Amino acid sequence: MAHVAGGAAALYLAAFLLVPLGVILARGLAPEGVPVGAPIWETLTNRYYLGRIGFTLGQALLSTVLTVALGLPTALLFARYRFRGKRALTAAFTIPFVMPTVVAGIGFLALAGPRGVLGVDLRNSLAIVLAAHVFYNFAVVARLVASFLERVAPQLEEAAATLGAGRWRTLLRVTLPLALPATLAAAVLTFIFCFTSFGVILILAPAARFATLEIEIYNLTARLLQLDAAAVLVLVQLVLVLGAASVYTRLQARLAVQVAPGTAERPPTAGSRIILGADLLLAGGLVLAPLAALLVQAFTSPGGAFPSLVNFGNLLNVRPTLSFAGLWPALGNSLTFASLSTAVALLVGFAFAYAVARGGWRILDQASLLPLATSPITLAFGYLLTFPMLVTTFWGIPLAHALLAFPFVARTLLPALRAMPKQQLEAAALLGAGPVRTLWRVELPLLRSALLTAAAFAFAISMGEFGATLLLVRPEFATLPVAIYDRLGRPGAVNYGQALALAAILMLLTALVMLILQRRGRSEF
Amino acid sequence: MGLTKRFGDVVAVDDVSLTLAEGETVALLGPSGCGKSTLLRLVAGLERPDSGRLRLAGADVTDVPPQRRDVGMVFQSFALFPHLDVAGNVAFGLVEAGMPAAQRAERVGHLLELVGLAGLGARRVDRLSGGQQQRVALARALAPDPALLLLDEPLSNLDEQLRQALKGELARLLGALGKRALYVTHDQSEAFALADRVALMRAGRIVQLGPSEELLERPVDGWAARFLGHENVFEAAPRSVLPTGAEGLEALFRADLAALLPADEEHSAGGHAHTAEAVVIEALREGLGWRLVLDVPKWGVQVVWRGFDREVRAALGLAVPPGAPRPGASLVLSAPPDAWRLLDGQRPAAQDRAARSEGDDPK
Repeated sequence: MAHVAGGAAALYLAAFLLVPLGVILARGLAPEGVPVGAPIWETLTNRYYLGRIGFTLGQALLSTVLTVALGLPTALLFARYRFRGKRALTAAFTIPFVMPTVVAGIGFLALAGPRGVLGVDLRNSLAIVLAAHVFYNFAVVARLVASFLERVAPQLEEAAATLGAGRWRTLLRVTLPLALPATLAAAVLTFIFCFTSFGVILILAPAARFATLEIEIYNLTARLLQLDAAAVLVLVQLVLVLGAASVYTRLQARLAVQVAPGTAERPPTAGSRIILGADLLLAGGLVLAPLAALLVQAFTSPGGAFPSLVNFGNLLNVRPTLSFAGLWPALGNSLTFASLSTAVALLVGFAFAYAVARGGWRILDQASLLPLATSPITLAFGYLLTFPMLVTTFWGIPLAHALLAFPFVARTLLPALRAMPKQQLEAAALLGAGPVRTLWRVELPLLRSALLTAAAFAFAISMGEFGATLLLVRPEFATLPVAIYDRLGRPGAVNYGQALALAAILMLLTALVMLILQRRGRSEF
Repeated sequence: MGLTKRFGDVVAVDDVSLTLAEGETVALLGPSGCGKSTLLRLVAGLERPDSGRLRLAGADVTDVPPQRRDVGMVFQSFALFPHLDVAGNVAFGLVEAGMPAAQRAERVGHLLELVGLAGLGARRVDRLSGGQQQRVALARALAPDPALLLLDEPLSNLDEQLRQALKGELARLLGALGKRALYVTHDQSEAFALADRVALMRAGRIVQLGPSEELLERPVDGWAARFLGHENVFEAAPRSVLPTGAEGLEALFRADLAALLPADEEHSAGGHAHTAEAVVIEALREGLGWRLVLDVPKWGVQVVWRGFDREVRAALGLAVPPGAPRPGASLVLSAPPDAWRLLDGQRPAAQDRAARSEGDDPK
């Protein structure tokens, strides 16, 4: 039965990931059916494209450095010190991680955009892009490193103390070296996210000089219809991101450490309390300010009255246009696509995890990070080239969303399935249950919380997905993020207000899903 | 005023005083949760006492942080640094002490030789066996030549065979080093094998302190007797055995000093003061011998007796295999006068005074 599951998962990944990637590859290397070097050569020697590649790399590296600079100290402080409000802050720091890119973008716009509460217009500046990237990835670094450090036995640091190393020497010679693989792994993840940044930059810095490869590919595909050049850029991006992803998997293998028998948490000393306070102020401000600004502005009328529900009222009274039919159709589309893609992602994700954990399908295990390295635009571009017919139907978007959610679902279910004691399955077999009955009566009930976590992940990812949707969408299928982008692209305070109200609704829906996530288990990320 | 440490309402270490003589190894022995590990962490400086002082080499170190305390520690989990190789682990404290590289390499080589790991300096620590990791942990703790060595259940993470082998080795090494050492363990055989004196701990206090023979021969009370492995501990001594005035005192019967005789030999028991008829209640094979539960009506108690086949067969008149004792069989238990003793042992305070006068270096 594991092999049926493995076959199904492999077939799905082949059809909806490998074939589209193969088609892009063929298109980039052999546009006319015969291999020619000309399009690659032309694209890669084009000063403009080289500039885009350089900018994409540069901003991603800079964002990563800044994110680690803020995330690493926070992780160290959170892993080692006990203080009031820590649980609430941990939850707060997770908010950006699950927030849709569009919400993050609008949040910073509400803070420091042309109509922002701070009164400084930072739109189309590198600063606001970097700030949004740090906001978005800070929690990835802080959580990944902190959860690693929490598992490092506190005896290691105590041993250093008995060997003559004071607090700073211990940090330098024991804690930081131990945290290095986890930090690098988190940095690589951050780099990948920032390298393929799309929605945040499209909203905060739409000027051409800030276009990442992802945006360039979108423009070439959706606006300029230069599919050959787009395919070459996809290949460039894929090579760079896959390289980073393979570094990530290699680092992840090194994260097995001594497990702490007790907790290493202690109350902060006077000196570290100052550092802790400064860090929390900075991180808390960065995380909460944009979201607070978004909420404040969503409840501010176009005329400036606060609090007011005018923006939300305007949503209900729009004259339907081709691209925006109002709140209810957008909300309905979002919920429908999210439900469908969650169902698909769960089915495939479970088949995958089952095949790897029970059937020993190691090839699948290694393939599960491939979708993580495939950017939404790349995927949607592949679907456009491979299944032009599918894309005109309703199914294009949920299938793309399901694939983007797949690695998260798979990485949540796999450890849960692996952690299940073998004896319980053997006991079920001896009591007369075959594999299917065992699955139904033992494994699925035991996996309930992992399945719920995975479902929440998939749902949140689909609700917030922007890039692939934008490329695949037809007007009548516009989701909340697409509707927000549409409103934002129109002039005037009323449209801006509607964008804010929509973003506030999306943010609250995502927060709701996150609450479920917080209360249930954890994933491997 | 002894050393005291509370965690919330729990008193983990309760007014403990202890002094180590030059070159002496003292074992802190007790069940889990008795405070022995906390006491060790207090000495290391990893915990701060609520009251009491610590003195090391004549100086008060109560407020000195662990890194300046001149104390080496071997952790239960070994706590080797996974990012450093064997030599890097051993050299860790030497680097902190500012020792020049050439001298450091020499010292590391010397220590690895001492613990039997010569030539393994470049090995990754996760590629070592449990026994080798234990040796690295010991070498690392000894490298900076600390004034006091602390060992926190250093053998408990190893399998039984290795534990037996390392126990002897560790005992020789501690003797050869001539360093003061505190050794925490819950295993009495480790404590007796390694320590010059054993401090038996219970509920944060040292209930008895002395050489192992003293603890075994004269346990301070019923709890101590049971913890040290005595099986025949009674709420009160049988009237027929002990003089009046012993009421209310717990009593210990040393079955190892008693002999089994055939049932009809009661009157020929000779020199032994205490002879009594006994009936076998339960007989369990234990390796090459037997563990018998005997009912002794004369004393009104049941006692446990362990011994080899030969004795059991002789007393019960059994054939050479397959003869085995059966419940209901009668025999005679013959014990010397000192087999029964009252547990009216010295109180801990008296021992403290004795102990304090021994050491020249109070701590």
